[in-house]
Amino acid sequence: MTTPAAHTAPISGESGPGDARPAVELTDLSVMIGGQGGDGTLTVSDLLGRYFRKCGLYVYMSRNVLSRIRGGHADASVRASRDPISTMKPEVDVLVAFDNEAIEMGKVELAAHGYVIYDSTSFHTDVPNASGFPFATLVGGPLGQPIFKNTAAYGALSVLLGLDPTKTREVIEERFKRRGGEALEKNLKALEIGRKAALEVPGLANRFSVADGDAHDLILTTGNQAVALGFVVGGGRFFAGYPITPATEVMEYLQRYLPAFGGIVRQAEDELAAVNMIIGASYTGARVMTSTSGPGLSLMTEGIGHAGTAEIPIVVADCQRVGPSTGQPTRHEQSDLSHLVNLGHGEYPRFVIAPATPEDCFVLTADALNLAEKWRVPVILLLDQALCQNTTTSARFGLSEVRVDRGKRLTAEDASQLTEYKAYRFTDDGISPYAPPGTPGLWAEITGNEHDEWGHVSVNQTNRVRMMKKRMEKMVKARDDLPPSRLFGATDAKIGFIGYGSTSGPIRETQSILAARGVPTRYFQARTIYPVPVHELDPFLKGVDVAYVVEHNYTGQFARLVREFLPWHHEKIRSILKYDGYSFRTPQIIAEVKGAA
Amino acid sequence: MVQSAKPVPPIWCPGCGDFSLLAAVKRAAADLKIPTHDLVLVGGIGCSGSIHNFLEVNGIHALHGRLLAQAVGVKLANPSLTVVAAGGDGDGYAIGMGHFMHAFKKNASILYIVMNNETYGLTKGQPSPTSQIGFEGNVESPFDAILSALSIPAPNFIARTFSGDPKTMIQVLEEAIRFNHENRGFAFVEDLSPCVTYNDTYKLWREKVVDVSKLPGYDPTDRKTMFRLYLDTTEAGKIPIGIMHRPKEVSKAGLEAKLLGDALGPARSEISFPPNLAAYQKLLAGVA
Repeated sequence: MTTPAAHTAPISGESGPGDARPAVELTDLSVMIGGQGGDGTLTVSDLLGRYFRKCGLYVYMSRNVLSRIRGGHADASVRASRDPISTMKPEVDVLVAFDNEAIEMGKVELAAHGYVIYDSTSFHTDVPNASGFPFATLVGGPLGQPIFKNTAAYGALSVLLGLDPTKTREVIEERFKRRGGEALEKNLKALEIGRKAALEVPGLANRFSVADGDAHDLILTTGNQAVALGFVVGGGRFFAGYPITPATEVMEYLQRYLPAFGGIVRQAEDELAAVNMIIGASYTGARVMTSTSGPGLSLMTEGIGHAGTAEIPIVVADCQRVGPSTGQPTRHEQSDLSHLVNLGHGEYPRFVIAPATPEDCFVLTADALNLAEKWRVPVILLLDQALCQNTTTSARFGLSEVRVDRGKRLTAEDASQLTEYKAYRFTDDGISPYAPPGTPGLWAEITGNEHDEWGHVSVNQTNRVRMMKKRMEKMVKARDDLPPSRLFGATDAKIGFIGYGSTSGPIRETQSILAARGVPTRYFQARTIYPVPVHELDPFLKGVDVAYVVEHNYTGQFARLVREFLPWHHEKIRSILKYDGYSFRTPQIIAEVKGAA
Repeated sequence: MVQSAKPVPPIWCPGCGDFSLLAAVKRAAADLKIPTHDLVLVGGIGCSGSIHNFLEVNGIHALHGRLLAQAVGVKLANPSLTVVAAGGDGDGYAIGMGHFMHAFKKNASILYIVMNNETYGLTKGQPSPTSQIGFEGNVESPFDAILSALSIPAPNFIARTFSGDPKTMIQVLEEAIRFNHENRGFAFVEDLSPCVTYNDTYKLWREKVVDVSKLPGYDPTDRKTMFRLYLDTTEAGKIPIGIMHRPKEVSKAGLEAKLLGDALGPARSEISFPPNLAAYQKLLAGVA
């Protein structure tokens, strides 16, 4: 290993002086930034994302961090394209590395025309098409701290990519204006240091060119932020949770948003308390939610079953990560589905609904509150790490698809017209009109024990059967209220895909690639997972010769569910599975589609 | 007049200490003129936790050990309700211990009553967290809820009553509920409630209980004094009853007051679109 001092002065460049090669023009660019946790890789990706959005491009950003505050390998990727995107590109055009590990990990994904910019303060690399700059040293002198090396790298990168200097600077101003003063000033200086260093390397400037796009007025958001916003506009006013990766941001956003609407967010002592606090608040008439991930979901299972049989509406957002046990807290998986559809001991109705994009998260979270309150059942919002935490451009969230439907909730005036009030009254649709405590002139018994219409504990056989049917048949009767699936691709294609959540991104991109090769496909994006939408899946499966269920787990959980409920289509169903903690890239799906390669 | 759920006859054994507590809760609600529709009783699991079935009330039967979390949710959602959580020593001090300790810290203005009979009665007499050494083979030290409660530096109301002394019990419960009504915070009352079938301690407890307010130096506003008084009494083989802690300052320290001020709370917030539309649009416009 060479000493840091050896690399402070010379700036190595693969291109020699006067080597003016034509720029590599990109309409779909991917940049990966890697280093140790704390190197500021996420900041660089955030700055780039903001820059490209400013240029009218669609942006998708993913992150790959460890479950620790500092240290360990961390990388972030930014993709920008003139066309809508919702997944990462299979290859990397430019790699920014703060250590050699980042180069070793990133170079395998580097395109043939790819280029590497790295911080040569403490190491040197011989990979081709690379320029090293001692960013930490370059900023450390004038700014007093090496931490601004990431912004200097962003500066050098902006030169390499031929980015507009003014916009490059504006993005930093936007990013740091809240912190203001010194932070902003030093980052702007670091930007100039990085740009100056890169401009001194012959042939480096404008090596790539990225054409502007025409997508405007897009927001940069995540599924977690969208869930929080959907909760507020859907009338959610009470949230309790316990910090857990990758779900915590839902709670953090709501801590910012909810108090202004008279709402409350509580960080509970554990997930048992969180789910029971929302049960108490919902019983009292508030619209409620909690968010969690696998380990927390295991603890909440007790409470969700209680809500199911006591008919107390709750929404539980499950941001799936790698399990079981602590698994891989920061990594992506879709392996809670089997647990969710069978959640808990005993039998009770539950709806499991799954959005695919942040915009869908926004709409379906609000919808989940309606479904829960109207049908008086627990609703699980099935999410996954990539959907929850990856940042993407999205159309601005609007209120046109949001409504508030309180179902048979009784107002004080409705209640005063009653002759008797039974909280579990038998009705045709299985929904008993509900009046929360505090409604003048009436009260009720609510219990997780089997009960009669009054809420009194009952072991009567006839009552037990009627109550079971009252609750369980909601799964059938609610069908037309549940979120409909979405279909993409050629309506007569013989090759089908089935998936949900963030997997929709790579599946839809796979469809475009295959269509361009003359292989038409259609995609069934499930938005209601449970009850299994047999009425939608059956015609879809009838029309295809083969259906690939694409999901992130070992056992093919969704495929098994589809087979269980549509056994007559058993032979058409194949699984495409991935459970290494990373999202699908399109080639990994294409490789498994027969007749597609 | 709307017909609501009618109380059912208690499932308790004749002579059970829980009857005194039930009567005291009814009496306190009547004395304090709490309308039935504004009173919520959150029951735990076990003999004592079924109390909500035996009086006219908004009753909610929580999961084993989780009644405090549900009760806090109720109070925060609608702070105008009077919220009483009631369960047994197994519910509160075993499976619910985590929530129990955090309830003092949270300090929501609810009343939590633990009917302590030092056994699991409903499952036929196993040792509980408060069982004495030797009871049904118990070798673990009994848990002392009052000492634990005193150890948390929060402005809570802490008391112990005895089912053999219903008069004092009513006074204590009424003061506890008034404490809640003033949004001063969490009130905890442990009632010594003998299980006549599996652990009949009436005679023993009658001999051992000592009214703590009669002891020299009694000052429930001073935590240090009460610790010493309590320890001196228990080490002398006696059982202190009465009010163990009541903060001196009268302030709205209750969690619901801290979070909501005078706002109505989540359950009564307006969630329809028209009144919220401008604020929603502003919120969504703020997403960059």
